[in-house]
Amino acid sequence: MRWACILLPQLALDHALRQRDDPQAPLALLSGPANRRVLQTINGAARDLGLRPGMALTAAQLLSRDFATADYDLAAVERCQQFLAAWAYRFSSQVSLHYPRALLLEVHSSLALLGPWPRLEARLRAELDSLGYRHRIVLAPNPAAARALANAHDGLAVAEHELPRAIERLPVNRAGLPGEMATALTRMGLRQLRQVLQLPRAGLARRFPPVLLEQLDLLLGHRPLGLDFYLPPDEFATRIELNFEVESHQALLFPLRRALGDLAAYLAGRDSGVQRFSLALEHRSGAPTELKVGLLAAERDAGMLFELTRARLEQLQLPAPVLALVLTARDLPTFVPECRELFDPRPQQNQSWDQLRERLRARLGDEALHGLNAHADPRPEQAWRPHPGMAPPLSDRPRPGWLLAEPQPLREPLAHILTGPERIESGWWDGGDLRRDYYRVETRNGQRAWVFRGAGTDEPFQLHGWFA
Amino acid sequence: MSGYAELHCLSNFSFQRGASSAQELFERAQRLGYRALAITDECSLAGIVRAKQAAKGSDVALIVGCELRIEAGPKLVLLVENLSGYQRLCQLITLARRRADKGRYRLLREDLQTPLEGLLAIWLPDQQHEDGHWLQTLFPQRLWLGVELHRGPDDAGRLAELLVLAEQTGIPAVACGDVHMHARGRRALQDCMTAIRHHLTVAEAGQYLFANGERHLRRLDELRELYPPELLEESLRIAERCRFDLDDLKYEYPHEVVPKGETPTTWLRHLVEQGAHKRWPKGVTQKAREQLEKELQLIAELKYESYFLTVHDIVAYARRQHILCQGRGSAANSAVCFVLGITELDPLQEGRRLLFERFLSRERNEPPDIDVDFEHERREEVIQYVFRRYGRDRAALTAVVNTYHGAGAIRDVAKALGLPAQQQGDLADCCGRWTDRLPSPERLREAGFDPESPALRRVLALTDALIGFPRHLSQHPGGFVISERPLTELVPVENAAMAERTVIQWDKDDLDEVGLLKVDVLALGMLTALRRCFDLIDAIAASAGPWRRYPRKTRPPTR
Repeated sequence: MRWACILLPQLALDHALRQRDDPQAPLALLSGPANRRVLQTINGAARDLGLRPGMALTAAQLLSRDFATADYDLAAVERCQQFLAAWAYRFSSQVSLHYPRALLLEVHSSLALLGPWPRLEARLRAELDSLGYRHRIVLAPNPAAARALANAHDGLAVAEHELPRAIERLPVNRAGLPGEMATALTRMGLRQLRQVLQLPRAGLARRFPPVLLEQLDLLLGHRPLGLDFYLPPDEFATRIELNFEVESHQALLFPLRRALGDLAAYLAGRDSGVQRFSLALEHRSGAPTELKVGLLAAERDAGMLFELTRARLEQLQLPAPVLALVLTARDLPTFVPECRELFDPRPQQNQSWDQLRERLRARLGDEALHGLNAHADPRPEQAWRPHPGMAPPLSDRPRPGWLLAEPQPLREPLAHILTGPERIESGWWDGGDLRRDYYRVETRNGQRAWVFRGAGTDEPFQLHGWFA
Repeated sequence: MSGYAELHCLSNFSFQRGASSAQELFERAQRLGYRALAITDECSLAGIVRAKQAAKGSDVALIVGCELRIEAGPKLVLLVENLSGYQRLCQLITLARRRADKGRYRLLREDLQTPLEGLLAIWLPDQQHEDGHWLQTLFPQRLWLGVELHRGPDDAGRLAELLVLAEQTGIPAVACGDVHMHARGRRALQDCMTAIRHHLTVAEAGQYLFANGERHLRRLDELRELYPPELLEESLRIAERCRFDLDDLKYEYPHEVVPKGETPTTWLRHLVEQGAHKRWPKGVTQKAREQLEKELQLIAELKYESYFLTVHDIVAYARRQHILCQGRGSAANSAVCFVLGITELDPLQEGRRLLFERFLSRERNEPPDIDVDFEHERREEVIQYVFRRYGRDRAALTAVVNTYHGAGAIRDVAKALGLPAQQQGDLADCCGRWTDRLPSPERLREAGFDPESPALRRVLALTDALIGFPRHLSQHPGGFVISERPLTELVPVENAAMAERTVIQWDKDDLDEVGLLKVDVLALGMLTALRRCFDLIDAIAASAGPWRRYPRKTRPPTR
């Protein structure tokens, strides 16, 4: 068993910064009652301005006006933790949120698949950086030790035999002990856990609540820690609040990209794709504007989802300025990745048919694209129906690939007639009786056309379709 | 040599496929100047007698034939060259029809292994072309390749392909029409029939409908445009070879009715003498003698002796079995029938004036029709006696052609055109029962329809064309045909709906035309009631004395 602990020391701040356009601008998170707002956390740029955590907002505003503020939203932090747990689920099937603002992953079983620990650690770090969360990662034989070590170290990997030494060197106030206990131990002159461990247990048990010994045992791996594991929810929902009211589509793209990136990460963790999701744009008053996106097959590529949603979003009329974006996806079928050949003959810029189909639907509307289905009727106009699937029409008679909606007089000069006349006389039962002689002809330009004229007459030809 | 003979044509006796009657077909063929017309209904000769009647009134010769689809095999048209070919065709059709349920047939490849001289075959290949050689072994020098062009997607290509096939296999090619109707304008009715056959509406039946109306009797100039002249001439050559006429059929009465050493005439006279003495034990009056002589002379002249003998034989059996029976109708006017015991009424009794000529006369030019009623519960015994005595291959029931009447026709047409069930019922009600006329506009308006609407006009037009068309064959209640030779030498025999019953494919009018005689074995419930009455009376009479003095006059002599 090897446990990795990913500590997220600035979770709330990072979450807030993710949603902003410029993470480098000074930002302070506020908490406290409305009449006395206090700076809860601040980022580095705000610190440079002279702000400090715990400072009252009014005091901070005297120092500078150049910083942005946001509420320290516990609910948002909670959602963020769930999101990160979902992300971590890709790397391990045992993810725990036992400790706040930290992720515990059991990685021993994953190392066989994802490579030795340095490689996995590098990947975790890279992804967390791209998601925008600061982190410290530690690997230890048991979860409690990993968490405690993460307080003091970053990038530490402790093997079983090295654990006692690493634990001993932990400072007491970083060992995961309750605050007063740690203070009391420090005042007694016990600054490192080594000193505490050297004391007789009986004595410690008499003087301190049992939680001290429990924690020491947990750290050393003498007692197992019962953990609740994260279970990925069956739906995805995320909400992004915008800094100010947005009226143009362009400004919505950045938060949209973020939201879809989160969705893609979530889907990758669950090994599923998404076929339907909806984007709700909230306004100050009135019902949110819903944009439903439906795909013909399950997808999970972030780039592609973004392209499709953007195309549809651009056609949407916004009745009022938008304050927040909510993305929900409930229908999550398993994803079957496209088969790729080893030597892909397609040039790099080509898209697969599925992608093209989705893009066309996004651009032209969902109803604009449909397949054909054959209908048994001798008349060519009635011989096909639109069909949502791709069933190709079967016919033993040669029919043109492109049938004109309305027949037109043939203007191209004729070279010669290939086959014909094919007489079609049918359709009397609904008043649409037609009597035509159809010919396949080749024009002087070399095109093959399907033309007709009235049965048995010498009228000029009418063009009805083109052959490929 | 110009001209054409159509060798593949269906009449409306190919039920729900052919859309024109033989009369219409021959009229048109006459107008167009065809040399001959073959009526080739599907596995059936049911319509051939009507075709003969239609051909009699025109210059177009009739060729007898039929269209057959071999199971898992090719489609053929068989044409009759001479009498033995006709007999073989009847046997083949019988074989195919007896194997399957009523209304269907199954023809297997093995069935064609019997000798088939006298039959000419036209092979109609579809997509596979493998059967040519096999068919050549069956019909040496009598096989042709039928080329049927109906302005399809690629007529020129198809023609070339078939000519190459003819060249390769050495089978001469001939032009055929696959005619389903007499004129192009019938295609609406033909489409309706196709829809009815597949139990769909016309709008849904698209894949089964013909794409155009080309399958009719086309003008000679149109045919010359489509087919090369050799193919048209070949049809004339085939027509030349087919010389069979239905008049060639020879019908013979079963010989059993006449004992050895006697002729039908002498035996009839003998039985008449016997019967006269039995009927008039006190002596035959002069008037009776003259009447009997007159009748016997006429019967001998018209050669109907065996008919009377056959009927007498059946009635004698019934009497032996104590089955109550008696003849009725115009037969009661005949003294010969009376003395033979066929009827129970003495036509010569004082005060009666019954005209023999109503029953049989030279001028009527019709065969006699003796209807004998039997008590209905025991009629089956009589029928089985007939089958036993003459054999299943020489006795069979006649068919009855059920035709479309007003209500049935309008209902089927309305269903095919997709009208809802409620409206189908309403239209059928407007027609009324047992009528062959269309409903009047007032009647339709009463029922809530608008007679001027195009939809209803279509329904009425199609119904008008459909009324009178044959719908299916069913079994006549008791009409028998009995023959000396196996019946399948005269007419094909098929299964009826009842088990253990077989019918010939002709109805009674057809039989009259061809000269076959039919005996009616009918059932009457009242006779059963009377029989029971008599049994009761006898039971009581046997036990109680005074009842024996039952007045003679009112008690018909039945034993």
